Amino acid sequence: MLRIADVWKSYGNLQVLKKISFEVAEREVKVIFGPSGSGKSTLLRCINMLSPPDKGKVYLCGQNLMAPEINLNEMRARIGMVFQHFNLFVHLKAIDNVSIGLRRGKGLPKEEARAKALKTLARVKMEDWADHYPAQLSGGQQQRVGIARALSMDPDVILFDEPTSALDPELIGEVLQVMLDIAKTGTTMVVVTHEMGFANAVASEMIFLDRGIIVECGTPQHFFTSPKSERVKRFLKQIDILYGRHEELLKLPNEEGSK
Amino acid sequence: MSDIPDLPTIFFYILRTGLPATLLLTAQGLLWGFVLGLSLALMRVYGGKVLGWIASGYEKVFRGIPLVVLIVLFAFGIPGLFWFIDPIERPLTGVFLALALRSGAYQSQIFRGAILSVNPGQMKAARALGMSRFQAFRHIIFPQALRLSVPSWSNEYAVVIKDSSFAYEIGIIEMMKAAYRVTSNFPELWALSMGVVAILYFIFTYPVTRLFGERQTKKLKELGMGGG
Amino acid sequence: MLDYWDHILPGFVITMWLYIWALVMGFFLGLLLSIIRQYGGWVISRIATGYIELVRGTPLLAQLFLIYFLPFSINAILEAQGLPFIPIGRWSFHISSEILGRRITIVLLDQQTLVGIITLGLNSAAYQAEYFRGAMSSVGTRQLLAAQSLGMSRLAGIRHIVLPQALRRVIPAWSNEASYLPKYTVVVFYIGVVELFAQAHYIVTQLFLTLITYSLIALIFLSLITIISKALDSIHKRTSIPGL
Repeated sequence: MLRIADVWKSYGNLQVLKKISFEVAEREVKVIFGPSGSGKSTLLRCINMLSPPDKGKVYLCGQNLMAPEINLNEMRARIGMVFQHFNLFVHLKAIDNVSIGLRRGKGLPKEEARAKALKTLARVKMEDWADHYPAQLSGGQQQRVGIARALSMDPDVILFDEPTSALDPELIGEVLQVMLDIAKTGTTMVVVTHEMGFANAVASEMIFLDRGIIVECGTPQHFFTSPKSERVKRFLKQIDILYGRHEELLKLPNEEGSK
Repeated sequence: MSDIPDLPTIFFYILRTGLPATLLLTAQGLLWGFVLGLSLALMRVYGGKVLGWIASGYEKVFRGIPLVVLIVLFAFGIPGLFWFIDPIERPLTGVFLALALRSGAYQSQIFRGAILSVNPGQMKAARALGMSRFQAFRHIIFPQALRLSVPSWSNEYAVVIKDSSFAYEIGIIEMMKAAYRVTSNFPELWALSMGVVAILYFIFTYPVTRLFGERQTKKLKELGMGGG
Repeated sequence: MLDYWDHILPGFVITMWLYIWALVMGFFLGLLLSIIRQYGGWVISRIATGYIELVRGTPLLAQLFLIYFLPFSINAILEAQGLPFIPIGRWSFHISSEILGRRITIVLLDQQTLVGIITLGLNSAAYQAEYFRGAMSSVGTRQLLAAQSLGMSRLAGIRHIVLPQALRRVIPAWSNEASYLPKYTVVVFYIGVVELFAQAHYIVTQLFLTLITYSLIALIFLSLITIISKALDSIHKRTSIPGL
């Protein structure tokens, strides 16, 4: 589905990404984590070419996004992105935030886009807030609209850039819950996050990134029981203290049925 | 001036004959505007209802009247206004007054904005140290406000120097009039001469607004002044 | 004094006429300049910046004379070379009608008025561009990034996401330019456009009531500016984004 091969990126003298390669299969959830400044956000932006890599290749369904003849706007419409600071369009109501991509990116007619937007808002349980402006919503609600905005485009893959790290602790749960629901429907996701509870619940593979290189990767099981590198161990301990695991915030898949 | 003047001649003629008056007008306008503007700003911020109302009314009036109208009003409109001044000097005084009164209205806004943007915590901290309200203003608020007003003030300098070109109307030989004169017999040079004088004004405004405008704003931000 | 209403009225109409043209021209040109400056490539954004700084750093009067004298200077040069020159001046579009027994003629367009409109428009464009640019940078790059992540082109992102927000944000600053622009139209008096101030000048030569006449003109400008700024204020209140 998505293949990143030998990607390098620098800002001025600072080498942010060094020789990054990995692959994301269809319906897979990949979690990327690591200390701040390790290049996680840059990596996501390299994937959808918002800041293109210096060299390397990014393939989406076999098409190389670095190829000069590629229409990036078309490709970006197939890669959803959820931002750390939501980046909702502040002049548009929630419903229009979701439908504008369908109209201007995909060229859907107005009514159709609206209907679809409303349906997607329902998936993140925000349909009752459709006519509110972003500034009238809480951070958690804004991020759910942000997720709906990405989701509505029926993307091949959705990139999440620390979707909960700008939120107050009590709002994190509702967003993680929505992400969990989406993961269950078989959406391909690449998630940059510190939420280890979420990772444990849905990640098929986790990647630990530090100073621009992939230090270690493996299943959540692997990371939480027997990480190899000292750096990973130290980091996991730190975020346990700083963030907690928020496992209590998540209704894990098997508990869902009891509702 | 019977020979066709060349570019350097035009340039230096404008500078030599026009610059003194331009600078004098600008300096006077800015100086008296400063005194007036600061007083008005104090009236608006600390003066209570009536004084504040008067100051804000003054601002509205002098910002709303075209400068040229102010100039003719003071230079010709009020006979006997400058009875104590030599008649030859009267139009010049009229221009001074117009520039200063207008600039005062703008500078009042600048200083008021600057005073209000000093972090309110500064006043509280000063009072907590036992300073009176006046002392706190004098030693804490005012020095900061003055620095905060530098970027807008450099802009006001550019406005006044450009506005001084309207003294042209009154027969004072400042840069604009000098530029008009130097080529008046040579229509083929009229446009050139205007281009030259425009560039001269630019030389006197741009470096100042550039240096004290953007850079100063950045520096103040780094110092953490303003806002709050 | 009041008997001269047949001078003040057409003067006022011409002032408004110049004002509206300058405002509209300055708006579109200013918007274009600010987009080029903000989002254009290195070279053209520098050109836009240069234009804006140059216009803002020089007196309106010098700009006016420069544009006004230009055809004369070109003609003088052409003539010296023995070449055919541009015909200047002898044309005008005007309307004329009988109001309350007085014949009132308003020259809507002639050489001077055209020069006046062009100068005021070009000048206001530079000032308006700065306001637009300020508003655009306050919208921030994140909004554009989000638009692009949805597959919108850069241009579509600017058009549908950045501009609608920037145009709302710019209203307070822009209102300032829009409300004070009428008073700058006075300069065209220097090249012989018969607007309000020029009419006042004429009345003064007839009546010698200097103080009263100029005060009346001052009052008209003051009221006009106050009305415009109040009107724009209410528009601002109505278009603000809820919750912001």
